[in-house]
Amino acid sequence: MSHEHRFPKEVVEIYEGIKNMSIRGAGRIAKYAVIALMKAAEDYKGGETRDFLQYMERVGSYLKSARPTAVSLPNAVTYVLSRLRKLSITSVEEGKQAVVNLAQEFVRKADEALKIIGELGSRRIENGDVLMTHCHSTAAVSVIVTAHRKGKVNVVYVKETRPAFQGLITAKALAEEGLEVIVIPDSSVRYFMKKVDKVVVGADTVAANGAVVNKIGTSLVALAAKEARVRFYVATETFKFSPYTLLGELVPIEVRDPREVVDEEWIRENEKVKIFNPVFDVTPPEYVDAIITEKGVIPPQAALLLLTEDYGIDLREIGMNPPATYEE
Amino acid sequence: MKCWVVPQAVDYVACEDVQRRASKFIRDVGRGTVLGSTEVAVGSLEIVRDAASSCRNTFKDFLVSFIPSVIASRPSSQVVENVLRRYLEEFIAVRNERGFGEAVGVTQRIVDSLIKELDLVRDAIAEIGSKRVEDGDTILTHSYSTTVLRTLKKAVERGTVFKVYVTESRPIGEGRVTASNLSRLGIETTLIVDSAVRYVMKRVSKVLVGADAIAINGAVVNKVGTSAIALAAKEARTRLFVLAGVYKLSFETVFGELIEQVFLEDASLVIPRERIQELPERVRVSAPLFDVTPPEYVDAIITEKGVLAPQAIPVLVASLYGWPPKIRSLRDLLMEVSKD
Repeated sequence: MSHEHRFPKEVVEIYEGIKNMSIRGAGRIAKYAVIALMKAAEDYKGGETRDFLQYMERVGSYLKSARPTAVSLPNAVTYVLSRLRKLSITSVEEGKQAVVNLAQEFVRKADEALKIIGELGSRRIENGDVLMTHCHSTAAVSVIVTAHRKGKVNVVYVKETRPAFQGLITAKALAEEGLEVIVIPDSSVRYFMKKVDKVVVGADTVAANGAVVNKIGTSLVALAAKEARVRFYVATETFKFSPYTLLGELVPIEVRDPREVVDEEWIRENEKVKIFNPVFDVTPPEYVDAIITEKGVIPPQAALLLLTEDYGIDLREIGMNPPATYEE
Repeated sequence: MKCWVVPQAVDYVACEDVQRRASKFIRDVGRGTVLGSTEVAVGSLEIVRDAASSCRNTFKDFLVSFIPSVIASRPSSQVVENVLRRYLEEFIAVRNERGFGEAVGVTQRIVDSLIKELDLVRDAIAEIGSKRVEDGDTILTHSYSTTVLRTLKKAVERGTVFKVYVTESRPIGEGRVTASNLSRLGIETTLIVDSAVRYVMKRVSKVLVGADAIAINGAVVNKVGTSAIALAAKEARTRLFVLAGVYKLSFETVFGELIEQVFLEDASLVIPRERIQELPERVRVSAPLFDVTPPEYVDAIITEKGVLAPQAIPVLVASLYGWPPKIRSLRDLLMEVSKD
């Protein structure tokens, strides 16, 4: 059955935007999802409280189905709906107001989260530390920049991050803040690790066991850090913690177009060579010294705590709404 | 560096041509466009051979100028130094016995036999190394090594069926050339970015790499990225084999010398030019070409003399060259060459 005729136009547009990836990035997806919930509530015309609550659940499921692999999406929806359920709403008006308040609260908290992560993370950095980072993460940049403003950090090794060179976005952001930035090829990670005191990276998804899914190469950085006894920190908002992994689901690793690695001419000349271009890899929790979140600096093994207690996530509910397609 | 001396003889044009080629070769080696270290050695020998026939009178000055320059352009590649040392020893021996003109005359023969030897050594390694490739193996290799290519080719000729993962091997990206060559041998070849080595390591049964130099403690100097691969292999309990001729041994490390690092100076060789322009000027790019894999990450070094534990390198050196190894320094040899 098609949902489109039952939901307001703005909700459908956000759903489509997330689905066709014109709305991308974990933070933006999460914010747009709660805005869609808000619009749906405001637009609701019926009079029965129970109908309203059921309607909101349907909107929630609809939105979550837009992109099953982006964990911030179900987390944002769950943030609003799990709290709504606990409020014992007595009228539609009250319910609408509650959804609007919760959605705005989520957006405000998401914005604050980056600042808090920067502050908490910077406390982990010591004077004169040389840092290394991989790819581009707003949360990791927030930690490094905050530490720099406190006068603790001056030198950062930034990995180029093939195939798409996202390291250069980080290099630019850090250099503009006045840091001394050294861009290095990914292959030289172990060579430079001896010169580094701490590694700070972001995350795409954090699993219930504290394993960190992030841009390909992160786990090799973590391994090289472990070998050199360099501390390895992951900076991330809690909405990237994946509730589905609690039920044993694996986090899907997207494999992208070969043309990100070599150009079309090369592919034509070497049509027999396969190109394997996984976007993410998994860093095991034992290689992570701490995860820096807006709720505090936690050992990776405590990820479960944030998922269940603090985030209003209910195991039964996750079970009822499993993600659509999960692979290795 | 010493300037080229303009030769007086009629072979002026030919000699100038060799000198131009020599300068270009040194530049290419420094930029990493001559891929394998054995290829650098062969190329250097060929230039010496051609200089001997074109620059007879000024050949001595050519040697004194060219040899240190080509070694300085790739100081981590031990084979270049070792074969040029062998050449100089033989050149000096002939000169001392029969005079300069005679020594220049036999240069072609000396060079050809050294090149032939490099060829035979790589074949011998391929013969031994290919036995380590088994049906159903998934091999991972890094960078570009003619020794690794010959070994895998030999394994294909034996009828062994296996797959290969190749890293693109940045900076420079010569892994693409390796992937291209392997797929033309009919091997199922998959190219990955350097960052993906830990991701794929669980699927890999063996890692095969070449070497630029082997230190006396069994540490392996090779294209940057090798040591991270070795670390990931160790973590996954995947075996790592280094394929290297004895001519890759660094005798100087017996006497405490460190093997020199080379950095790519030009940032545009690392990051696409248009992307560099987006960056603030204060952003620096640092791109070392080599790294050192500690011996404890190496399962075996496969040489033409057999398969060795990295810790057994001193035994090999002692049996071939005595202990401490009796090796004359290049500086000594070049000083002797420049004497009349």
